[in-house]
This record gives sequence, structure tokens and C-alpha cells, in this order.
Amino acid sequence: MTASTTSTHDLPAAVEAPAVPASTSRRGWLIGAAVAAATFGLGLTVPFITSDPFIMSLALDAVILALLALSLGFLARHLGLISLGHTAFFGGSAYMVAMTTTHWDWGPMRAAAVAVLAATLLAVLFGALVVRASGMGFLMLTLALGQALYSLTVQTSSRPVTGAFDGLQVSYPADARFLGLTRAEVGDPGLFWPVAWSCLVLAAVALWVVGRSRFGTTLEGIRENEERMRFSGYGTFVPRLIAFVISGAVAAVGGALFALNSRFVSPELLGFATAGDSLIAAIVGGLGTLVGPVVGAALYIYAQSEFNDSGNLHLYTGLALILVLMFLPGGITGGLQRLWRRLPIGARRGGGR
Amino acid sequence: MSIAEVLNGVALGSLLMVLSSGLAMIYGLRGVTNFAHGALYMVGAYVAYSVGTRLSFWVALLVVPVVLAAVGVVLELVFFRRLEHRSHIEVGLVTFGLALVGERIVVLIWGERTLSADPPSALSGSISVLGTNYPTYRLFVIVAALAMASALVLYLSRSERGLHIRAASHDLETASIMGINVDRVSLFVVALGAALAGLAGTLAVPYVSLDPGMGAGILITVLIVVVIGGVGSIGGAMVAGMGLGIAQTVGTTISPSIAVVIPYLALVLVLLLRPTGLAGRRAA
Amino acid sequence: MRRNVKRAIGVLALSAVVTACGSSTTDSASTEGKSAASGPKEAIKVALIPPSTGALAQFGSDSVKGWKVAVALVNAKGGVAGHQIELVELSTDATADSTLRAAREAVTQKGAKFIGSVMTSPEHGALNLQLESLGALSFNSLGKADDLIGKQCAANAFHVVQTNKMDINALGESLKDLPGQKWAIQAVDYVTGHDAAAVFKAAAKKAGKEVVLEQFAPLNTTDFGSNITKLQSSQADALFAVEYGADGVAFVKQAQQFNLPAKFKTVLGFNMVSEPLFPVLGDVVSGFYNNVGYNVALDNPSNKEFVAAYEKANGSKPYYVPADAYLAAQTLFAGIEKATNGDPIKVRDALKDLSFDSITGKVTVRGADHQVVRPSYVGKVEGTGTSKAFKIVASGDGPAITPPANPECKI
Repeated sequence: MTASTTSTHDLPAAVEAPAVPASTSRRGWLIGAAVAAATFGLGLTVPFITSDPFIMSLALDAVILALLALSLGFLARHLGLISLGHTAFFGGSAYMVAMTTTHWDWGPMRAAAVAVLAATLLAVLFGALVVRASGMGFLMLTLALGQALYSLTVQTSSRPVTGAFDGLQVSYPADARFLGLTRAEVGDPGLFWPVAWSCLVLAAVALWVVGRSRFGTTLEGIRENEERMRFSGYGTFVPRLIAFVISGAVAAVGGALFALNSRFVSPELLGFATAGDSLIAAIVGGLGTLVGPVVGAALYIYAQSEFNDSGNLHLYTGLALILVLMFLPGGITGGLQRLWRRLPIGARRGGGR
Repeated sequence: MSIAEVLNGVALGSLLMVLSSGLAMIYGLRGVTNFAHGALYMVGAYVAYSVGTRLSFWVALLVVPVVLAAVGVVLELVFFRRLEHRSHIEVGLVTFGLALVGERIVVLIWGERTLSADPPSALSGSISVLGTNYPTYRLFVIVAALAMASALVLYLSRSERGLHIRAASHDLETASIMGINVDRVSLFVVALGAALAGLAGTLAVPYVSLDPGMGAGILITVLIVVVIGGVGSIGGAMVAGMGLGIAQTVGTTISPSIAVVIPYLALVLVLLLRPTGLAGRRAA
Repeated sequence: MRRNVKRAIGVLALSAVVTACGSSTTDSASTEGKSAASGPKEAIKVALIPPSTGALAQFGSDSVKGWKVAVALVNAKGGVAGHQIELVELSTDATADSTLRAAREAVTQKGAKFIGSVMTSPEHGALNLQLESLGALSFNSLGKADDLIGKQCAANAFHVVQTNKMDINALGESLKDLPGQKWAIQAVDYVTGHDAAAVFKAAAKKAGKEVVLEQFAPLNTTDFGSNITKLQSSQADALFAVEYGADGVAFVKQAQQFNLPAKFKTVLGFNMVSEPLFPVLGDVVSGFYNNVGYNVALDNPSNKEFVAAYEKANGSKPYYVPADAYLAAQTLFAGIEKATNGDPIKVRDALKDLSFDSITGKVTVRGADHQVVRPSYVGKVEGTGTSKAFKIVASGDGPAITPPANPECKI
């Protein structure tokens, strides 16, 4: 089952579209940097536009979920791999923050840094087990490993460490500082926003740069035709593993931010539902573009706060997933992209791609 | 280990066997992991509960697989066939969405409460097996599952359509060149796989209680069974299902903490030692 | 590079949307929030955040029923300290995340300063941390984890329901009177199960009884076959079972198939049998003993008023979930009454060590950990079919069953 059935038939059409020209021109880099800087600056103004803590907390939740969705999108876009196990890195990192602050009295800075590192190491371990697989095999293996971590966490014998089903508080002294913020300020969505937003923009820029680099070209090659890459002397295991670990690290950053802000971790962070929800967010937003998963995450949080009243959220997200996959491959951003190409201006300027 | 403990393992294994063979068949033919399999099992169980409490368990045993086969036909015609030329992953994710929707619809119809039903009077009580009293109904589950499994194996290996199914799961394109009506075979297989899930659901009603999480709960175990057995291998899935059922039940009597991680441990071990699964046939 | 342009447009559009939503809702919320806090005649808002999905949804909606009865009764009498009480209903999927979000919405958008009907212990654990910054009080009538009045306790959180330890202690006190000499313990492999087993063993020793088998099954077990087989081959003549929710139903039904209950003189459950489960469990539980959080037959004016009003509104007698919600409301109202207004800080201070008459008699809010000191009971299921009901056979007094305040809780 780890069979590397790398026929194109196993690649999601959602990710077929962007055969990115690998070498980006100097002008491309410049524009990329400008867009990133502008986005970053614009995002920082959000707390000034709305002072409502509820809206801010929604926006913050969206940014944190976006990091997880972004990591899924990266794997899908560059390797055609769909993961249901990234909750292990997201939740694992969040749990590390809670465990190190609670059991070892670590400060928030050290806890967050080590948590991201530990979850990244976990990604190395998981990656070594799963990156040989592709397609359905990869999906099922990541799901199984993610669920294994969940099961270990809720074990009664893990209770002194993880709190099992009851979860764990992130407890550190109220005056300990995280990037200059006190504990109460970290918990305030408006004050924590610049940190989370910077992380999201940095992660997106980093993933964009990786995608445009020589390494990105290698990944495209592997995605398009693994066998040919192997014949031409490229080892595919290491690049796949590296991509998996990068993606895991981005998810881990999201998890650490989550734990610091909400100050509480519970097993559902590692659960099947979280894995499915983040994947649905990424797919509905669109796996083919960098911002697609971010858009999806924002939409998901909005839908969760708006439509969860009768407990039917999964009815709607499930329907959205089916409809998008059947009628709007490429998700919302993919659809917008196609629409844009049909416009005269879009067609003229985007001719090459 | 007592005879009753072995039988408990075999009973759980039987349920897993019926479910995973259906999942493996659909995968073999369509290349798609049917994430809705847990939801089909759940729908089967709830329909069987309603039919069973209104009419009788025996009617449910006949009717529910037929109802689920019809659901399978819809699944094949509306989704699998329409999406034939899309990637397997996308189709798999569509079934994931179907599972979410299906499970929620079950809750909207039957509610959130835990439900439970008694076995039919002919199967209630217990009988003596080698000097140990054992519930008659559990013996019935074992007998029914084993009978179904043997019938399925015989059918696949002896009948003409069985031959077609095996040929098509082995290589869809070649099979269609050789004149096998792949569409018809596929329709049959998906309907049969869904019917098996319905059968498992029906058997489960008096065996385990019904709750809204039952589909998602068993799905992960069944996925692991299919991976361990070698994806697409029906025989492998059956053997792995039975093996895991026994291992887990026996593990519970030793240490409940170990029993929970047994499926994952088994999965990682199999992947490390034999990456294609016990009966894996597609070379890595 | 064209991608960059599109990306930029996408981000712009997104932030525009976020901004638009933000500004429009802010206005309405801020005015609403102000009006609730000022003026003596303004209504005091209580947010109820029960789960609307999952196996716990039933308990959630029953808890809301308890609050509604309390609010209807008190409003009809002219409110509390001159304030009418208004309920704001939100919902959650019983995850810490969505509950926190609903709590924020309730406080910042809807102007509620008091929160009830939150279900599970992890939700409370997460909520307790945020109460102070939200400036709200929580009245917990459902989450029973002992940590909630231990290391997860909070100054703004009131634990109205009994903790697991309190219920277990009540069971332990009654053990000596129950038939059966050799006991087997079947418990969930979780903290509740292990705690209950430990207290039970100590109580058994004191009562001169013997524990011959002790076994644990993982949470969410669907097949109890191997456990039941062991129970059957043991020497036990009585059973103590700590299995609840779907696990409890599966255990009871499967035990019945193995004809296990006939072996025992006593089956004593902990959290295993409750009124909402009577239909699904069937008549096999008739004769079972179980802990009962609330005695519907208690003879005091407050309880009689509650039972009559609840029965009129819902067509059935209340059980512990709506009753505990009602008690949570009584606690809140007692605090408001003493504080004479709806300011959360004043209500919190007023509740410290406050005693008041409630549906379970006189209860006290312990200042050290905000646990409401109240009794817990042991009941026996009597009757069959739809007439099954608990008959209270023993009761543990509040002060006797409540463990001393945990020093890890610093309020």
C-alpha cells in the first residue's frame, strides 16, 4: 500500500493547475516582496479598525487555523500529498507548550520555541514512516499516525503528563513575558494579533520562497513524475521528507500560538475532526494557490461562529467539501483564478500560464 | 485464556472482517478508500434498529443489506462513476464529505441518544460451548460472519462474475479491453460493499450499543485493518480483521492501556517490516 | 508575477470583508453592552452555553430547561433585587474551543455577565482561565472533575454540581448496608474509575467486605465481552460498576446477554444508571443501585415549588441535570440578592461563604474553592417499563462527603 503509484491519476486535479515556472525573475521576487510587505502592513491595522474583542478573537482563530491549513496546502501543492495527520504537529506543539510550562515551569518564550522544535522533530519521525507512500496510502497512513498520537495522549497512563481527556492548562507566571507581552496580553486577541499575523505572513512568504527555489523545482519534478526523477539520478525520499518537515513546522507554529493564546489544550486538537476540518478549510479555499487555505480557514471560522447553532456545522462543511470537489475543483481561489483568466485583462497578462 | 475470551475476540474480529472486506473490495476496483464506510455501517445499524423494533430482527437482517446496496448504487452512479476520471484522492475526499453529511443526517433522524436493542428471542440467552456458557447472539454473529466470508471467497474464486471482479481489481484497463463490462462490475462491487457494511451494522445492533460516534470510531480501525491486510486484498483484509479483533480483545484482558494502541502498533510494525501489507500485491 | 497581483487582491478583499463585519457589529454591541450594566431596572443577562451536538446534547437541553424554570419563577415574583433575569442561549459542540468562542460572544456581544449550562470538564477548564479577563462569572452545574475545584479553580467560577469525589464518598458511606460480601469492581480506565475504585476499596474494608476482582476498561469501549467473562468466572456476589454514557449502556446490555446480573446480590453503579437512560437500558436495571445527585422527593418548599413548575412546563419530573441547573440559578440569585445588583465582582464577593435555602436544603458556597457544599444520594431503581424511578436509600450530608478544600486552589 505504500506503493508509489505515481501515475498522474493519483494527483488531485485541485493541485494540477499551477505548473509554476520555477525560476522566478528578479521582478517576480520584487513584486512578491512588495505584496508580502503590503499584506503584512495592512494586516497590522486590523486591531485599529475593529476594537470588538469577539471579532478580534475570530480573526485570531482564523489566522491560527490558517497556519495549519497553509501547511496542508504546501504539501498538496508541491507534492500532491494530502495529509490527515498534521494535527499531530499542530496539537503536539500546543501540548508541548502546556506540558513544559506546567510540569517544568518554563517561561512562554522557551516553551514555544522548544514546542515548535519538538513538533518538527516529530514530523521528521512521522515523515520517515510515510513519505514513501503517495495518494490514498499517504492519506491513510497520516490519519493512522495522527490518531495514534491522539490515543496515546488520552491514555489514562498519560494522564499525569497530558491530562488525558481533561486537557491541560498552560500555566506560567502572570508577569512572564512572551515577546514583551504579559500573560494577560497574550490572551488578549487584539494585543496578540501582531504576533500571530507576523507568523502567518512569515510562514506564507517562507513557503512561497521554498516553492520558487531550486528545491521547489525538484518537488515539482517529483510530483509530476517520480519515476523519471529517480531514473535521472534524483533521490526522491529526502526531498519529500524535507518538504514534509517544513510543512509540519508551519503547523507546529500554529499550535504553539494556539496554546499561548487560549492557555488550554485538550485532546480534540489532535482529533480526527480537527484533521478533517482543517483539510476541508484548505480544500474549499483552494489547494492550488498559496492563499487558498488561508481564505478557507477564514471562511471556516466564520461559518463555525455563524452556523453552528444547531450542531449542524459538519452537515454544511461536508456539503461544501462535496460541492467544491465536484463542481469547483481548485476551490474558491482556483475558481476566482479561472474567472480572472477569462477577463480580457487577466487573459492578456497571464498568457504564459 | 478461557474459551469465552477467545470467542469474544472472534466475535469482534467477525464484525471487522465483514466491514473491511467491503472496504477492500471497493478500493480494489475503484482505487478509492471509501471514507463513508463507517457512515454506511452506522446508517445500517440505525435502520436495522428501526426495522428491528417495529417488525423483527430477522426482517432487518434481510432488508437492511438491500437498502444499503441501494445506497451503494447511488454512491456508484452519482459519485464514483461521474468522478471516474478525477484523481482517486479527490474521490476519497468526496466520500469523506459524504461521511460527515451522512452521520449528521442519521443524528437528525434518530437523535443523539445512545440506543440499544435486545437480540431476537430465538437468540437470547446463552448456550454451553465446551462447558462455558456463552451468549447465543454472539455465536450467531460469528457464524453469520464466517458464513458470509466463505460465501464471498467461494463466489469470487468460482463464479464468472467473481473472475471478472478479480480481473477488474487487478487491472481495470486490461479487463475492459478483454471485454469485461467494467461499469457493471463496478456497480455490483460498490453495491455489495455497501450491503456488507449494512450487514455489519445490523449484526452490531444487539451486540454493541448505537451512538452518533459509532461510524467514525470504527472507520479508523477498519482503515487500519485494510492497510495491514494489504490495500485492495479482500483475503488480507479478512485475515487482518479477525487477527486484530482477537489481539485487541485478548489485549484488553491483559492491560486496557495496551489494547487501545494495539491497532496502531500493528500498523507501524507491518509498515516497517512489510510495507505492502500482509497480502500486498502492488510492488513498492 | 500575475499570481502576486491576484494574491494581493485576494488578501485585500479578505481584509475588507473582515473590516466591514467588524465595524458594523461593534456599534450595535457596544450600546447593548452599556445598557445592560447601568440602571437598576435593567435585566440581568445569563448566557447558557450547552452542547447542541454529540452524545451530551440531551443533557445540555435538559440543563437549559432547569434554568428556564428558575428564571420564569423568579421573574414572575418581580425578579432578583428588582432586576428581571434574561437568558441568552448559545451553543457549542462541547469542545473547549467553540465554548470559549461562544462565551466571548455572549459577554462582548450580548452583554451577559453570568454563564451557565457549560457541559464538560475540559470546557470548564478552558473557560475558568478566561473568566477574569471577560469579567464574567460561571456557574458549573455539569462538569464534575475534581481538578475544577483544585488546580483549575478560578475566583470567578462556582462549582454548583457535586464533584466526583463527593458522589463517591456518598456511595462509600452507604456500602455497609448493601447486600453482598465479595465484591467485584468494573471501572472505566479513567481518573473517575480509579478514584471510585480506591474510595470503594477503603469503604469495603471499613464495612468488613472483600474485593475479589478489580478490572478497568478503556473509555469508549464498545465490546465488554472479555470483562464480563472475567466477572462471571469470579467469586464475587456483588458488583460495583463505574461505566457511564455509551460505555455504560453497552456494558449493561452486554452483561444482560451474558446473564451476568443474576449472579449478583447487588449491582451498585456509579454514574451508570440515570433517568434519561431508563428507556434504553430496559428493565434489567430494575433493582440496581446507583449514585443520585438530586432527590426529587425532598420535602421542602423550594423543592416542591421547583418540581411543580418543572412538571408543568415539561410534562415530566426533573432529574439531576435540570435540578442542578436550577440550583445553579438559585446560587446566582442568592448572590445577586445579597449584592443587591448584577455587578459580577459584587456578586462574587457576596457569594463567599454564603448559605441559603435551596431545593436540596440549606447549602453553603465554600469560600476557599467556591464548591457548593451539598448532599449526594444513593438510590435504588424501582418499578418496570415507563414507571421506573429512583428510590433514595441513603444520603451523604454535604459537609461529610465534601473533601477539604484543595490547597492547589488559590482564590
